[in-house]
Order: sequence, then structure tokens, then C-alpha cells
Amino acid sequence: MTKKKKLRAGELGKYFFLFIIPALAIYLIFSITPFLYTIYFSFTDYTDMNPVNLHFVGLKNYIKVFDTPLMMTAIKNSVIYAILLTGFQVVLGLPLAVVLNKKLKTKNLLRAVFFFPAVFSSLIIGYLWNFIMSSSDFGLINNLLHQMGLGTVNFFTSGRALYSVIFTQIWQWTGWGMVIFLANLQSISEDLYEAADIDGATGLQKFWRVTLPLMCPSVKIIVVTGLIGGMKVFDIIYSMTSGGPGNATQTVMMVMMKKGISDGFYSQGAAFGVIFFVIVLAISATMTWFMGKWSDAIQ
Amino acid sequence: MKKKTRSLLITEIVMIIIAVIWFIPIYYLIMTTLKSPQEATNHPLALPSSLGVENYVNAWKNMQFPRAFANTFIITASAVLLVVILGSMAGYALARTKTKYSMAIFLLFLAGLTVPFQMNIVSLYRIVKNLHLMNTLFAVILVDVAINTPQSIFLFKEFVESTVPKELEEAASIDGCSVIKRFFMIVFPLLKSVISTVVILITLNVWNEFMTPLLFLQSRENDVILQEVTRNIGQFSTDWTALFPMLMLGVAPLMIFYVFMQKYIIAGVAAGGVKG
Repeated sequence: MTKKKKLRAGELGKYFFLFIIPALAIYLIFSITPFLYTIYFSFTDYTDMNPVNLHFVGLKNYIKVFDTPLMMTAIKNSVIYAILLTGFQVVLGLPLAVVLNKKLKTKNLLRAVFFFPAVFSSLIIGYLWNFIMSSSDFGLINNLLHQMGLGTVNFFTSGRALYSVIFTQIWQWTGWGMVIFLANLQSISEDLYEAADIDGATGLQKFWRVTLPLMCPSVKIIVVTGLIGGMKVFDIIYSMTSGGPGNATQTVMMVMMKKGISDGFYSQGAAFGVIFFVIVLAISATMTWFMGKWSDAIQ
Repeated sequence: MKKKTRSLLITEIVMIIIAVIWFIPIYYLIMTTLKSPQEATNHPLALPSSLGVENYVNAWKNMQFPRAFANTFIITASAVLLVVILGSMAGYALARTKTKYSMAIFLLFLAGLTVPFQMNIVSLYRIVKNLHLMNTLFAVILVDVAINTPQSIFLFKEFVESTVPKELEEAASIDGCSVIKRFFMIVFPLLKSVISTVVILITLNVWNEFMTPLLFLQSRENDVILQEVTRNIGQFSTDWTALFPMLMLGVAPLMIFYVFMQKYIIAGVAAGGVKG
């Protein structure tokens, strides 16, 4: 005890590793190693028929991905999904937060209701909306349309299915955006609005000139996490459409689960994973750059 | 002033109407669980004519609900516990130690926020298989911990840096507290608010996580609630209202959690979002 160097307050010394190693070990084994393996597998001929003797095959798997229409459709659908969902989360969630930041008597209850769907698993939300949007007799929306004397709407044609799915997710996730925006709004000082009042600004002017510029941090969070999260979409597609009709609603993760796991085309699945990663990286880099420009422009 | 109160009242009424419409799908879910197919088709939004719980009894049995619930609970509770303990230790260490190595380790964890684990399912599948963890709850727990660690380390590190005074630890080190004791006796209790944020975010993530159980849990006795829902959903086509109690049982645990902890959940999501 006497020989040890005494640690000052807040210092960890060699104990640093004791604190960091448990978390780091799990992270290295189940996040970093799989990442490196994915890159390695993507350049080999690894399949369920050939699991041991792996050979280097160059860019063959990548070329295969770009030559497979299903994979290209999946990327396109995931991008459309991510952009529309994120866009609506901002366009609907932000005004909702502004209104529910006013001194309404029922504001806490209203916030709780709008956030409610975000608590549930998207998988189950998908099954529920399948019944709501069904074109059978029991489909809730079509049932109500019939009662009003209108005809049946098929929400799951190959042209509409993706947008029907996106609609349910806007319903589910707008409240999540609202909560993040509300937290940001509450950090804006009242003084700024009083100053704007003295200058005779209208409500809408106050929103554009005072509120919106100061909402930059929360918009950035929703846009970046929303786009990345949107690219990963799987559960809602799995339960609502299984990728159909045809391949109209296939997404990156649906195809990767099928090709990469069920069908045993492991190396192709890995190459698809790497391409997916590059797209996500490009999106987050672009958005971070873009949002940076925005916050520079208003300061 | 009077004009202002009136416009506020109109806003309030409009918002209540929108909220009611927003709530219809959930209302429809709850009401349909108690109806026969015929009643649900004829009066989809009416209150049920009887409170038959037979549908629930069947769903409970068909889903093997107690077992599926236990699996989901074990996975969620273990993952949350591990993320909180390991994440707070790592976050604390990274907040207090500023060396080349510690910065590099922190950046490595940060990278995990942008790398979607989903891109690695092929290699994860192989690693879990090689470690002989396939078809064990342990596999799902460890992978879910790895997925959720980066965000929690980030939150813990920020919190320790901004709110835990070094002076408190000074007093403890004079007393001869060991480093580990110092952390768990002095620092850990001060982390209460960020722990509650992490617990809430990770509980929602892990409870609702569908892909990791789907990948790693093949046998029925190991599966989770969401897998039971998908397993049973194809089996009923004519008696479609029998499915609704299953959907309801699927969301009920988190629904109850939300109804009682609503204030904390919303605060937790806000805190996690603003900082993360």
C-alpha cells in the first residue's frame, strides 16, 4: 500500500483499464469484429455450400449486387422511406411541438397521446395497420368508406404499398420528433419572444425569425437519426407487406435477411452490407455538413 | 388579452380533436379484442356488446404468453443492467482520463453510433455460431448490449464531465477508498438522472428489438413475445378478431409501463435525444 502511487481525486491511473475493459470487450467481440469480418467476407466466395475454404474473388460480389435489380429496388425503397419519414417527422412534429408548448390546459395529456404509438413495436403496429387498411370487408378504413357510400380503396397495390407503410410510420414516429423538439423549445429564452413582441412581430414572423433558427440542434438530431434509422427499416415491412406485392416494398434489410441469411449467399449479403454502410455514411456526412452550413448561415 | 384566451381555447379544441383521431388505431385495437368477427365488421368503432375474455384466454395459451414474457423480460432486464453498469464505468473512466489511448477508445465507441449493426448480420450470425451461443438468450443479450453501449457511454461521459464534481471524490480518496468502491459508493448514486434516461431508452430498444431474436433464437422455448405474435398470426383467417388479443398482449407490457411512467419516459427520450 505504501509503495503505490497515491491517486488524486478523479484519477484512475491503471484502474482505467479495469473500468473500460468489460464494455470494450463486448463491443469489440459483437460490433467491431463483425464489422471487419463483413468487409473480409464481401471479397470472398463464402456461401453455405462453401463455408470453410474461402477464396479471394475481388469485386465480384459488389458487381453482383449492382447487377441484381432486387437489390437496387431495395436500396431505392429504403432511401424513399427514410427521406419521406424524416421529412414528415420534422414538418409535422415541429409545428405540433410549437402548439403543445403553449399554455394549454390539456397539454400534458395531448403530448402523452401523440407520443403513445412510439412506445410500441413497429412489428405489431404493422399487423394492426394491416387490418385497418385491408380491402376485405373488415378493413376499418374501407368499412368506413363503404358506410359513407364510397368505393373500396386498395392501399396495397404495387404503386401505393410503400406509401401506405410510410403513412403508418409517420403516425407512429411524429410524437417522437415532437418530444425532441419540445425539449429544444423549452430551452429558448422567453426574453427573445418579448423582444420580438416589442418590435411588433406577428406569430408567424416569430416562428420563422426566432423559433426556427434556434431549433437547429433538434432538427439536426431528428434528420440524422431519422435518415439512418429509416435506412434500416425492417420490422414494419416484415409485418405489413413482407416486401410485396411482387418486390414493390423490398428494403435493404428485408433483402439482406433473405439473401444473406436464409438463402445462404453469405458473401453477397456481406457486400450488400458494406454498400449499405457506405450509403449511411454518405447520408450522415452530407446531412452533418448541410446542417452545419445552416447553423452558420443563421448566426 | 381576452382575444388571446379565446384563440388559446380554439387551439385547444382543435388539438383535442386531432388527438382523438390520432388515438383511433389504438382504441380500435383495444375494442376489437373483445368482439366477434361479425360484430367487429358491422360496428368497428362501437363499444363491444359484451366483455368476453375468451379471446384473451385463447391468445394467452396459443402464444405461451408466460414463457414468452419471461424470455423477453430476462433479455431486456439483463441487457439494461449490463449497459447501465458497464456503460457507466466506461463513461466515467473516459470522462476522467484524458490520454491518447482514452481518446482513441472513445472515438471507437462513437463510431458505433453511425455503423448500423444490421450491415453485419452475416458475420454476427457466424460469430455467434462459432461461440456456441446460437439459440441462447445469452446471444441476444450480448449483441443487444453491444448495440446499445455506444449511446450510453456517450450519455454517461457527458453527464460525469458536466455535473459530477471532482471535489467529492477528493474527500473519498483521503479516506482511502479504493477506486472501485469510490465509483460505486460516491459517483454512481450521483448518476441517477442519466441512469433513468439510459434505462428508459434501452428498455424501449431491447424490448421492441425483433431482428436479434429472429436471428439467434430458433427454438420455440427460447423465443420472445414478438416472435410468438408472428408465429401465430398466419393461423387464423376466418376468426380474425382472435388475433387482436395477441397484438394487445404483445404491446400490453410496454403500454402499462408507459401509462405509469409516462412523465419519465417522455423526459428520458427528450434528454437522450438532445444530448445523443
